[in-house]
Amino acid sequence: MIRRMTGLPLRLVRLLALPVALVLGWWGYSVLSPSFYVPSPTRIATAFADVWFTRRILDDVLPSLGRLLAGYALAALLGIALGVAIGSYRRLRLTAEPVLEFFRAVPPPVLVPLIMLVAGLNDTMKVLVIVSGAIWPVLLNTVEGVRALDEVLADTARAYGLRGPSRLWHLVLPAASPQIMAGLRQALSIGIILMVIGEMFASTSGLGYTVVLFQRGFQIPEMWSGIVLLGLLGFLLSLAFRAVERRVLYWHQRETHA
Amino acid sequence: MTGRLRDIAYGILGLGILFAVAEAVPRLGLISRDFLPPADEILHTLLRDLAGRELWTALGETMRAWAIGLAIAFVLALALGVLIDAIPGARAATTSTVEFLRPIPSVALIPLATLLYGADLGSSLLLIVYASFWQVLIQVLYGVADVDPVARETARSYRLGRWTILRRLVWPTALPYVMTGLRLAAAVAFILAVTAELVIGSPGLGLQIQLAQSGGAVAEVYALIAVAGLTGVAVNLAVRQLERRLLAWHPSVRGENPR
Amino acid sequence: MRRTLCTVLAATALFAAAACGGSGSPSGKSSDGTKTIKIGAIAIADTAPVYLAVTKGIFKKHGLNAKITAVTGGATSISGVVGGQFDFAFANTTSVLTAAAQGLPIKVVSNGASSTGVVGKDFCAVLVKKDSAVKSAKDLEGKTIAVNQLKNIGDTTIRASVRKDGGDPSKLKFVEMPFPDMPAALSKGSVDAIWVPEPFVTIAMGSGARPVVWPFVEAASDLTVAMYFTGTKLAQQDPELVKSFTAAIKEAFAYAEAHPDEARKELLSYTKIDAKTADKIILTKWPQDINRASVETISEDALNDGVLTKKPDLDALLP
Repeated sequence: MIRRMTGLPLRLVRLLALPVALVLGWWGYSVLSPSFYVPSPTRIATAFADVWFTRRILDDVLPSLGRLLAGYALAALLGIALGVAIGSYRRLRLTAEPVLEFFRAVPPPVLVPLIMLVAGLNDTMKVLVIVSGAIWPVLLNTVEGVRALDEVLADTARAYGLRGPSRLWHLVLPAASPQIMAGLRQALSIGIILMVIGEMFASTSGLGYTVVLFQRGFQIPEMWSGIVLLGLLGFLLSLAFRAVERRVLYWHQRETHA
Repeated sequence: MTGRLRDIAYGILGLGILFAVAEAVPRLGLISRDFLPPADEILHTLLRDLAGRELWTALGETMRAWAIGLAIAFVLALALGVLIDAIPGARAATTSTVEFLRPIPSVALIPLATLLYGADLGSSLLLIVYASFWQVLIQVLYGVADVDPVARETARSYRLGRWTILRRLVWPTALPYVMTGLRLAAAVAFILAVTAELVIGSPGLGLQIQLAQSGGAVAEVYALIAVAGLTGVAVNLAVRQLERRLLAWHPSVRGENPR
Repeated sequence: MRRTLCTVLAATALFAAAACGGSGSPSGKSSDGTKTIKIGAIAIADTAPVYLAVTKGIFKKHGLNAKITAVTGGATSISGVVGGQFDFAFANTTSVLTAAAQGLPIKVVSNGASSTGVVGKDFCAVLVKKDSAVKSAKDLEGKTIAVNQLKNIGDTTIRASVRKDGGDPSKLKFVEMPFPDMPAALSKGSVDAIWVPEPFVTIAMGSGARPVVWPFVEAASDLTVAMYFTGTKLAQQDPELVKSFTAAIKEAFAYAEAHPDEARKELLSYTKIDAKTADKIILTKWPQDINRASVETISEDALNDGVLTKKPDLDALLP
């Protein structure tokens, strides 16, 4: 039967077959051998509705997302700006590289207690935490991208008298954009991780806070619903990112092959 | 040769500037010494820790979690990747699941890990394996997809067994991707090992950092952060070296832009 | 190809070596015939008896070789027992009740710590900065209070105190933070108030903090603040072990009550305080038995606060 299907029905089957099978399998397992820590999908679904389709969206989810976006935007801007500057001058890059590689290798959550000391326990601290981790992949990848600027392209640009902001917009950034996008993608995952961690420590609200709250109260289905929500969030953000990436890479193609 | 040495000198200059800034800023009072002790104090604490036993035990525990978690993730991802390649139609069926599960931040599993394993190695492993697994799997899938279909057909028409095709055709094509996956997974595994220790309290470097911070020993915190950073750099370098060794024969490495 | 294989094998061997080195010590019989047990306990003044029991050989006398691991709070020690990391652990009453109500398989074996019952002279208090406008429990409305873990005896008793003083307990904001971080957080103004047990009360007062509420006294009389417990599986499989542990702990309690200076001295070994601070702190009370009425009061309060969703079966839970 599957072999005879074509077009839309087949695509739907392909998309949903495994997930549905997995959920069914999970449900079956939880019925046959109930585990306290792994409740059945139906219980998690009910808990999900009970917990999240309430004021919590306003009180916890939206502020968390807001902080994530603020931190991410800041990290992107600073990372690209500094990255272009450092990548454009060979000596500066050589000087900065070991320092930058070191900072990138420090696991970002480790800086959270330090940032807490300096910034206190507020939104600024949480945004700073996100920036402190997300900036490094952007910075380092931008440096790489700018550094690997194609010689021929650069010469052509020079021949056309392209300089300053124009050169930046039409030559440097488009040429480096695949690398920059790779850095921005890594920064997104790190940003999400730091958003969650920043709220697990010393917080009064947020997604991470809520999940910890449930764990402290041993409310397992509710805790799982939080995990599912975080997963959904990660998934949706990565979809959004991919859409943006496609646009940017189109720009890259257009500018560098014009 | 002198060119290379000069390049390295610039790098050392950069590190020196960092040290000087970290020394001057607290001494000049720009940042309180409670938040940033002078760099020589941090260095002194670091050297003292390196001479003792506690730091090395903690580091050993972190590396143990890292190694075990990475190994499990690698083997599982490799096996699953090969399986997906071998079963016709599996790739299309699994794509949606992989793309959905993959962006789930492993730190979301922290409360679950705490419940299941408490503040122990198991919690660290849960996080490490979950995060590293996807890094390797994605790369393995890229790798097996890159196998030249004509070569595959040719091999099949020669009636080469499945295992032989895997060994002589798929593996060499996929190896650079597998190595990339290993490199990414090694870095992620290290970050998650320290994170799990910091947040959950499993034994290791992260736990030491949390204890130092609770005890108000700020210089110690910085010294331990430095150790974490240096270890991370060492891990990245080691895996890169391994990659270069294993792929010395591969055109992508021998080509114009060795990474 | 062979080189690849060799390298892979070598790497695997390295991984395996790392895996074998330094494993944790298993529970079980050790060479001198004593049984090894793993205990999870938070590093505050309340747990001095269990540490004393190790130093003074009380556990050894009962045939036990105890290893204590420090945890940050009740939720962690409960997870540790259920997950098998600990055989016995110390946790506050609210956490124990919450876990039991949610169906976690734990069984209380003995009292852990009790309030002194005297306002102004209890071992646990809510402190604010000296110049703070907060003068009583009611003034805490709308303020940020640091507790070591959410949904434990801290927020239950603070809410009870606020209610008793005529305030609205739903208007309190609780923030989670390890106890050792709290005095600094208060001084810096990151939080408006902190809820701490000794030795942190004395430490915070040393940096200029002022206690305003003694929640354990307000919430119930002779409050059983915390208890020692084990997993129901262990309780069923090895009742002898549980009996030995309980006897040892009770003996340690009697010892700590009779020799308060030794209890103070013990604190120096497992917390980071100095001898001068240790002399100034107010000691917990360690009576032999649990005050069941107080546990029921806490159960009621937690139910009203929404921390508990249903009442736990105290008959099954308590010894």
